[in-house]
Amino acid sequence: MPVNVSLADLSNGLLLSTLFLYALAMLSYACDFAFARHRVQAGLSETELAVPELVGAGAGAVSAGAVSAGAVSAGAVSAGDRSAGGAQAGSVAGASARATDRGRPPAVGLDGPSASRWPSGLWLRLAFGLTCTGLVLHLFAILTRGLAEHRVPWGNMYEFIGAFTCMAVIVLVVASVWYRAYYMGLFVLLPVVLALGIDLTLIYTPAGSLVPALQSYWIAIHVTAMIVAIGLFVFGAVVTTLYLLVDRSQRRLAAGQSSWSAGIWRHLPTPAILDRLSYRSVLFGFPVWTFGVMAGAIWADHAWGRYWGWDPKETWSFITWVVYAMFLHARATAGWRGRRAAWIHLIGFGCLMFNVIGVNLWITGLHSYAGMS
Amino acid sequence: MSPFQHPAAMAALSAAAAALAVLAVAGCDGGAIGADVPQSSGQSFVGHSYESTFYAVGHRPAAPQVSGTTVTGQHLSLAAYKGDTIVLNFWGSWCDPCRAEAPALGSLARQLEPDHVRFVGIDIRDQPDSALAFMQTFNVGYPSLSDPSDEIALEFHNTVPPAAIPTTLVIDKRGRIAVRIFGESTYASLEALIDKVAGLK
Amino acid sequence: MTAAEHDEMTGLAPDQAEETVLAAEAVQASPAWPDELETSHRPRTGRLGVVGWLRWTWRQLTSMRTALILLFLLALASVPGSVLPQEGIDPAAVTQYYQSHPSLAPILNRLSLFSVFAAPWFAAIYLLLFTSLAGCVLPRTFRLVGSARQKPPRAPSNLARLPASTSYQTDLPPAQALASAAGLLGGRRFRLNTGDGWVSAEKGYLREVGNLLFHIALLALLFSIGLGGIFGYKANRLLVTGQGFADTPTALDVFHPGKLVTPGDLAPFSINLLGFRASYVTSGPEFAQPISYNAALSYSAEPAGPVRHYDLRVNHPLVVDSVSVYLIGHGYAPVFRVTDGTGKVRWDGPVPFIPVDNTTLTSEGVIKVPDAKPYQLGFAGVFLPSAEDASGRLESAFPAALNPRVSLVAFKGNLGMNSGTPQSVYTLDTKDMKQLPISPRPLAAGQSMKLPDGAGTITYLGYQPWVSLAITYDPGQLPALISGFTALAGLILSFLVRRRRVFVRAVPAADGSTTVMVGGLARSDAAGGFETEFADLSRLLRTGQDGRDAPAGQAGPAAKAGESAADSADTPLEQERGLLTVPAGRQAAAGAVTDNPETLRVREDPSREVRSREDPSREGK
Repeated sequence: MPVNVSLADLSNGLLLSTLFLYALAMLSYACDFAFARHRVQAGLSETELAVPELVGAGAGAVSAGAVSAGAVSAGAVSAGDRSAGGAQAGSVAGASARATDRGRPPAVGLDGPSASRWPSGLWLRLAFGLTCTGLVLHLFAILTRGLAEHRVPWGNMYEFIGAFTCMAVIVLVVASVWYRAYYMGLFVLLPVVLALGIDLTLIYTPAGSLVPALQSYWIAIHVTAMIVAIGLFVFGAVVTTLYLLVDRSQRRLAAGQSSWSAGIWRHLPTPAILDRLSYRSVLFGFPVWTFGVMAGAIWADHAWGRYWGWDPKETWSFITWVVYAMFLHARATAGWRGRRAAWIHLIGFGCLMFNVIGVNLWITGLHSYAGMS
Repeated sequence: MSPFQHPAAMAALSAAAAALAVLAVAGCDGGAIGADVPQSSGQSFVGHSYESTFYAVGHRPAAPQVSGTTVTGQHLSLAAYKGDTIVLNFWGSWCDPCRAEAPALGSLARQLEPDHVRFVGIDIRDQPDSALAFMQTFNVGYPSLSDPSDEIALEFHNTVPPAAIPTTLVIDKRGRIAVRIFGESTYASLEALIDKVAGLK
Repeated sequence: MTAAEHDEMTGLAPDQAEETVLAAEAVQASPAWPDELETSHRPRTGRLGVVGWLRWTWRQLTSMRTALILLFLLALASVPGSVLPQEGIDPAAVTQYYQSHPSLAPILNRLSLFSVFAAPWFAAIYLLLFTSLAGCVLPRTFRLVGSARQKPPRAPSNLARLPASTSYQTDLPPAQALASAAGLLGGRRFRLNTGDGWVSAEKGYLREVGNLLFHIALLALLFSIGLGGIFGYKANRLLVTGQGFADTPTALDVFHPGKLVTPGDLAPFSINLLGFRASYVTSGPEFAQPISYNAALSYSAEPAGPVRHYDLRVNHPLVVDSVSVYLIGHGYAPVFRVTDGTGKVRWDGPVPFIPVDNTTLTSEGVIKVPDAKPYQLGFAGVFLPSAEDASGRLESAFPAALNPRVSLVAFKGNLGMNSGTPQSVYTLDTKDMKQLPISPRPLAAGQSMKLPDGAGTITYLGYQPWVSLAITYDPGQLPALISGFTALAGLILSFLVRRRRVFVRAVPAADGSTTVMVGGLARSDAAGGFETEFADLSRLLRTGQDGRDAPAGQAGPAAKAGESAADSADTPLEQERGLLTVPAGRQAAAGAVTDNPETLRVREDPSREVRSREDPSREGK
């Protein structure tokens, strides 16, 4: 069946609009950071960390929490989870102290009470609205592309990147509402916008049909699972990066040094919560990735006669799986939680990106369906 | 304390399980875990090592009743050679070891004919022109059945299937397979085996 | 048995464990989960016997740290297998690598870097990993089975020290309060244990089941792969239209049998290729892209069996007698007739040419006529399916055979085939041959090339398509599939289920009512969520017993000023679904009342996060 060119053009236009809306949403999130006053209270400030006794009623909390952590100050003096515990107790106490201030409930996400799960503040509402609108357009872009081609719209790299960036934004929206992770908006949209930009310019492939090897119902199972998993992992990687940066900033502050980025991290919750969010995204993503690899193996057997042949794409998806498994094991091993596990998480994400993009571009094999020469 | 609680017993049990895993995997050919995507590499399967098996009397599988069309277009059945020792040779004109052993087979065939030893070739994956050309080059005096679609080879499936080219089978006077050779035979080795089966010398 | 296991079994010594909570050291056990003691991996004294060292080695091998290292090595070891050309996937690329890196290639080959996944050191890594896995998982499986009927331990005496706790007053007598608590918890499928003045409840054993199921399924997967490797086989066959073959070793181009596979094990089916059709995009941006491939086959499962027909396509393999046949390639086989110097026809049939360009299907091939007289003849040729003049040169513009041409270079001499050393039918060794002085020109169907020196004539008669089939038999395939899905199910189960304990104590209070204290903790709950459940349970317990707050100023040994958990309806607690840490205005010991109303006390205790190797509900996997 020939490609419906007008629908394909519509799809391109929709994706471009999506990109534009995401960029605007990013600006709005940034404005929210800059201008919305209530956010400052709920986050971490330098003074809170350095002089915990200023934190009114929560002083007892801080010291008691510190006792359990084996340190006296709300200090992020030691690495990893101990600092997370201490600092968290501090900030949480801070948040709860402010909870009694009935003037304005802080819109912190995971680490404190909040009046509702919907965003508060003009800028945040605008940003979230733009994100959601962009997401709707994004979904329509994918849908129209699929309708134009009369097939599932993930058959080459252009479509694939469009799909998993969409999934990453879906994860962002869900996490924002469910876990009140609105602060993630700017940071997740940044790579999404970059990826879509490159996708639309350098990687663009016109709508077309699938080569015989891809003509199977398995494309709806295997590739879809991979897209879902990649969206979750992209989100997790952004969270982990933030965790490492925030944690480093906090430790520098606690050690008395200055941290220029602390101003940004004020708007984020404590590293412990970021760590948990990062862990959660892998908790969801890892089984989906496992399923995707298995579905791929079943399809490979169906198409090529063997379920595992160490094709480069298969090998790298295996490597990615192993590294994320390392991450999960590290979280259960004393001394490896916190920063070390976070680095393993990022290495896993690096392997994932190489798997998704690098293998297609630089290594030829049975899996070379980039659609680019 | 139950035996399951004893650390040493657990260690032993786990080691045994792990050892089983090792055996299972060690037994596997590079094909399953190893790197192997079927692509036609163009290497036709040709045996390049020599292996001969002699079946003792009483342990010899019965040879199937083989018949077909020769490369010259005539009909031939092994039943015509009932009571004789038959030497069956699977070959192809494209197969280098077959070409190397062809002179030996040809002269043995001529030499042993008075002793009621019949040579019959089975020509695999060949066309009549190439097959006849081969037979002319090497002065092959005995007939060869044409088997382009492996039907004859398949008849040996339950007994002694040819696992390589060339394969030579020596069938005794009672119609039972006595010798199986994979790979290129030499004059001396083949003569010795045929003598043993046919009871010559 | 370690101290940890002893504690878990008997439920004793929680007090002992409680004392350690307040110690300054990080690595300690928490009150109600005493089996989290991190066992030291260092041998105690400098002198160990052989058995002692073996035990130590075994414990090192089966520790989590070793698992981490081995996982890392496994991932690292796979990298060269994807970056360097591999022998089993693309031998031609390996040869090319040798040519472009002549000094480096032999070194890499010595290290097995051209066949990484069949290399002994790669096998060593995954075998060690699976040994470590087996050594950890199997004992825990036995322990789980053994503890299947085990009751939860006794409730700690000071429930306030637990990460989540609350208390309230009720008018019910202690026994009745406890009974109603037990009833509620039992109704929620907690496993119960009761004692004098306390109730213990535990739930979430399925987590360990899921965890172990996952790891055991991985072991089973390895077994299945091995099974397929031992009893299965893989083969290839290239078949020209009009030809047929049977599943017997002499008919296969490539044959990789498992260790225990004999030629008689091959299923005796036969297949004929009746025709092959390929369709390509003829215009637009996807010009020359393939649309479909169809191979028309007739086959029979046994020598004299009924003949059936099948339309073989990619993603639609033929399954005969548990053996699968796949269409994995196709190309052109031009048909030639070679007449030698004596005038006799020495070759008359198709010669498969192999594509060198997958888009246009420009193909190369070799014709060897070893029995031509007076000279052996060899030809190397190029086949262009849709030959087109492109700036003076002839090239193929399209993969379908719209204008087929073949162009040959002729050689005479010694092909080297009589020496007995096997050579590929697709390569021509010209070292003992002389090229004939006739310039190649493109031949259309029916055209001939007359060779000089009375060497003969070659005529191009047309072409036949060929297909390349993969034949695989893998008895371990279905077990591998089942193992894989079982692993996935176990993984999801272990991620979804949390193991947690809830304790209830009821003591008579000074004013005649009963003080009920509820405490709980979750093991390996880094993802959160237990607080919500605990809040829920506490609320239900309270409302079920008409609980109310303790009067101000009254502080029992573990009583804290607690607001009604029902008020938590105002807090986001009940709306949160996971990653929530409740504001914990954590109080110092013994009854200091703050003006900060607190709902539930939840403590994020890093010291709780220690895991021992024997941890049955290891978090995460």
